Amino acid sequence: MAEVDPRHARYPFLSGAREAVAVLSVAPTELARADAPAVERGAERVERALMAGRVDAESPDSWRPRDELLSYPVARVLVSLLDNDAAIRKYAVAEATTARERLAADAGAGGAGLRSVDDRTLSLADALQEFDVADAVRARDDGRFDVDVDVYLRLADPSAGDDWRLVNRALVDGQVPVERDELYDLLEERVRARVADGLPIPVGGEAGETLADALSPEVARLSTLLTDRAPKIKTGPVDRPAFPPCVEALQERARAGEDLPARSRFALVAFLVDLGMDEAEIASETGLDEAAVEFPVTVLADGSGSQYPMPSCETMDAQGDCVNTDEVCERVAHPLAYYREATD
Amino acid sequence: MDRRTREYLQGRFGDYYRSATLSLPPAADAREWGHIPFTDGGTTMVRHQSLLELGELDAFLAGESPRHVYFSAARYEDPATRGMDEKGWQSADLVFDLDADHLPSIDPERTSYEEMLRACKGALLNLVNILHRDFDFETQVVFSGSRGYHVHVRDPSVRDIDAAARREVVDYVRGADLDTEGLVTTTVDHGTTRRVLRTDGGWGRRVHERLIALAADLREMEEKAALARLREYDRIGTGRAETLLTAFRETPEAVERGNLEAGGPGVRILVEQLAERVVAENGSAVDEPVTTDVNRLIRLPGSLHGGTGLAVRRLDSEDVAAFDPLIDAVPERFTGQQVRIEVTEPSEAPVSFNGGSFRPTDGEHVVPEPVGVFLMARERARKVRET
Repeated sequence: MAEVDPRHARYPFLSGAREAVAVLSVAPTELARADAPAVERGAERVERALMAGRVDAESPDSWRPRDELLSYPVARVLVSLLDNDAAIRKYAVAEATTARERLAADAGAGGAGLRSVDDRTLSLADALQEFDVADAVRARDDGRFDVDVDVYLRLADPSAGDDWRLVNRALVDGQVPVERDELYDLLEERVRARVADGLPIPVGGEAGETLADALSPEVARLSTLLTDRAPKIKTGPVDRPAFPPCVEALQERARAGEDLPARSRFALVAFLVDLGMDEAEIASETGLDEAAVEFPVTVLADGSGSQYPMPSCETMDAQGDCVNTDEVCERVAHPLAYYREATD
Repeated sequence: MDRRTREYLQGRFGDYYRSATLSLPPAADAREWGHIPFTDGGTTMVRHQSLLELGELDAFLAGESPRHVYFSAARYEDPATRGMDEKGWQSADLVFDLDADHLPSIDPERTSYEEMLRACKGALLNLVNILHRDFDFETQVVFSGSRGYHVHVRDPSVRDIDAAARREVVDYVRGADLDTEGLVTTTVDHGTTRRVLRTDGGWGRRVHERLIALAADLREMEEKAALARLREYDRIGTGRAETLLTAFRETPEAVERGNLEAGGPGVRILVEQLAERVVAENGSAVDEPVTTDVNRLIRLPGSLHGGTGLAVRRLDSEDVAAFDPLIDAVPERFTGQQVRIEVTEPSEAPVSFNGGSFRPTDGEHVVPEPVGVFLMARERARKVRET
């Protein structure tokens, strides 16, 4: 059996990983029929994406690099079979979130420059090369990077916050200086776009039906997750004392005029959307600009209810927003579950 | 426009085109072409044409002598297809549009043509400065033939950016939504707060340069006058002014480095106000919807503007500052002759071309031809029989 490059297992969206999958020449149908570990891990990928906003394995040691690598195309098929746009978006974001964390760990270990020391990890130079922007990014002496303005314009999302607006950047000679973390953010967006590209995979024809049939147990299980996943909240008067401490803390910071990181602001807005609030109510509740909540609210409330919910406790913890935990927190895995329990 | 006037203008436009040689934009075959003929209304555009249909451009212009001529900023696979979605958009030059009508300082009802052009020139020089210094773009400046300028950027790296990215570029040159508070960052270092002004590029650098200049001016002044000057800024009273002045006088090298700690809390207040001035004076109020439209049509350089009779002129960078549209955009073909017109829409403001000035009052006049063409093209006069 061909040896799988651990780097491809870690970053299965790389073009090299795609080739590696081709070399393994395993048809997803066969995998599915054989009840292979890659299918189980693929289902976990999607489940984690929907529940926790990330795709890494809960017990990484249980999987061989081969399973890890193959779980990615399987996950793409599974999420396509779910036939739900919000699930696809969430999945792509989750793949990108995890990739960013791994890249930050890998590239950070390599020191200040672009190169890394370990050939199993992905260096920043490799990542830039992968996305065809190697020539457009240069390391500076001060630990930051210069990005060509055209590439910056292509990658940066001006709606992600005022800091990303070109007008607030120290543009000079066609170069935009960015912090290392910001460069990871730009690459994260590139990963998200690549993962989302081609999804949903059209699963049709005879082969497609066979595949869909073989994967139907996983799809059925993930579908129930999709409907039950975000704890349903009775709409009605909002019960503020029942807010979980993390939301309370975010709200206080927003009201105090702090410019919350985009993820934290998103979590706060998502929570309030799930409670059935609209833009104006959220703005007055949080003190955020109505304009600042408009975009997240549009995405969050896109007709499919809470298909794009507030992040789980685990994600809140990972982004440093899980604070002042109490005994209810010990029992629940999701801030909305906290609210439901507290309002029961 | 009556028939005599129309035939006269069309004839003179034809004379111009027969003696002029126009150069084509790059990739002319991939562009959509459009023109407005001198027919009755003179407002219906014939568009969705390719160069193939027009044939040889000089011959087309000499034969047709259209009132206005345009080509697309975009390049398409099939520029002659009617539906925009079917054309197969490939890329579009970034073309900045400056029109005196849209400048914040201009009231089009009350401002003379010369004043409009002067205000637009200022915005143009700011724009070119930003595009060169900040973006490192090569530019081609074109006088629009009327009240403004177009700046073409054909750098391949930005030709395929979408409308949203173009809006970011436009907001940058306008200084729109600049976070003036964010220009000074407060960092805490071993328990001490430090206020630092962004100096390395962008609008921060412009504000920093302004601050250095202000500090240098203040150092030259008598203490009393310097303090008074600082107190002219909002929310800067005697106490803050004194702290600022002391910092500017005693630690000029810190100001040079953008370290504003010694200036106290007044620094942030001062910088915010300086930033607002810098944006107002150095920004460029380009027309956003036109500039971000990736399918727009632009006037062909070398053609005549049918609303003024002036030529749309390409300008070399070094000629921009000295360019005077009222002299340099007057077609040579129209100079040296007089023409008899009847003014139908008089005005107090004079019309000046080539240094001469004419105040259009009611009735028949014999005027230099560029003035006559201008008034007739604007439909403020009509042609009468020469006697």
